[in-house]
Amino acid sequence: MIEPFSVPFMGRALAEIALLAVICGPVSVFVFVRRLSFVSDALTHTVFPGVVIGFAAAGVEGVFAGALVAGVVTAVVLTLLTRGARLTDDAATAVLLTAMFSIGVVLVSRRSSYTSDLTSFLFGRLLTVTSRQLAETAVLAVVILVALAVSHRALLFRAFDPEGAAAAGFRVGRLDLWLNVLLALVVVAGVRAVGTILVVALLIVPAAAARMVSDRLAVMAAVGATLVFLSGYCGLLLSWTASLRYEIALTSASAVVLLLVIFYVILMPFRRVAA
Amino acid sequence: MELRYTGVSLGYQGKKALIDVEIRLKAGQRLALVGPNGAGKSTLIKSMLGQSEILGGTAIIPPRDVIGYVPQSGDLDPDFPVSVQQVVMMGRYRSLGWWRPVRKADRQAVAEALDQVGLTDKARNRFGTLSGGQRQRVLLARAIVAQPQLLLLDEPFNGVDAVSQDAIVTVLRDLSAAGTALVLSTHDLAVARDLADLICLLNGRQFAVGTPGETLTASSLRPVYAHRALDLADGRLVLVDP
Repeated sequence: MIEPFSVPFMGRALAEIALLAVICGPVSVFVFVRRLSFVSDALTHTVFPGVVIGFAAAGVEGVFAGALVAGVVTAVVLTLLTRGARLTDDAATAVLLTAMFSIGVVLVSRRSSYTSDLTSFLFGRLLTVTSRQLAETAVLAVVILVALAVSHRALLFRAFDPEGAAAAGFRVGRLDLWLNVLLALVVVAGVRAVGTILVVALLIVPAAAARMVSDRLAVMAAVGATLVFLSGYCGLLLSWTASLRYEIALTSASAVVLLLVIFYVILMPFRRVAA
Repeated sequence: MELRYTGVSLGYQGKKALIDVEIRLKAGQRLALVGPNGAGKSTLIKSMLGQSEILGGTAIIPPRDVIGYVPQSGDLDPDFPVSVQQVVMMGRYRSLGWWRPVRKADRQAVAEALDQVGLTDKARNRFGTLSGGQRQRVLLARAIVAQPQLLLLDEPFNGVDAVSQDAIVTVLRDLSAAGTALVLSTHDLAVARDLADLICLLNGRQFAVGTPGETLTASSLRPVYAHRALDLADGRLVLVDP
């Protein structure tokens, strides 16, 4: 059970998943209570052109910077659009999502290795995570966790009662921007490992699954993080075993996300019992 | 603490929603805002929180950090995973700031506020599992845990059972006796008469302000409620769907 992870690329992949678990557990709780699943989905798509431009400019090492810039810019634009009175939140989000994703597809389709590049951007390459990528994820994890630690009270108040939070002197618009930027940073952290499509699962499923067994936010964050790590561990193991023993090509990132969803389904009856 | 509006017009994005507001409230006084739906009661309360625009006149409003606010509990998500204790603690967040950890004094203040509204035994329950009246009492506890000098309540008795209404009225009287000024909007004229020192009649403009005896009369209420007021043969007035 542990032996495959003594192979360097498997060890790095597991370490990457562990870092993502630590940040996705608590962040997904705020996605859940703020009902930001669609916004999260949009953010994962809007970083796509940044990923493509970064890759075109500097190869794999450029993906991080490209995703970071695109993520932060779209978090700002998304916050401004959803605060405007002319469009509803979901319409504004959908417009941005489709526009940015289309730009990404246009950019990537100009490359000769179109299919291969598109696949890796959309579904990630968990097994090719480098030490440098691991270090970048670790830095992002520290930034995200510190940011959450200092703002969790305000974010919680805003999520529960935006009118009350505003009356208490909290600036709701700035808090929305703050959380959107944090979501963008999580997307940036996870995009190379699990891709722009699958990273949304790490933002939504952990807290949704954890809610089945607890209605305490801290417990939800811990359970969510544990589920991501377990999915990562089992998903990598499954992918390794399928490839080496049975010669079945099983994409590791997809296996991880699939297992996370299976955990969600397994926990569903517990919610019914609690209700 | 002094709250004073002199010839004030209020609204949103430059558009007036309420005009001719003349009110003056001192520490310990209780003001009830009375009028039909859309009369401008919430607009007036929001102006004290800086959430609606003062478009004319002069308004003297206490600083934000001494104002407490109790929203309607029905506007909040009952599925939100938060305990009663956590909701009340939110009232301390402003004084806690970003870094300061929750201390014994904060927990003590939360316990006392819950005791004041009679919900000590519900402290660990999830907020959404409480009845509408109990939720309203929790929100009142959240406001008083910050020890406000001016407390604003938006329809605090909407959908509230008799037990909770009595508990809320008792707490409001105690707060007022301790010097907290109160402004509450309500449709319930009986509660307004019973609780308030001053009544402000609104419907797009201020029609009257004064004691319950001066304002809650058929002749004062008739123009405020217009077609919703039915005159009975014996001279009394009935409000339809106030």
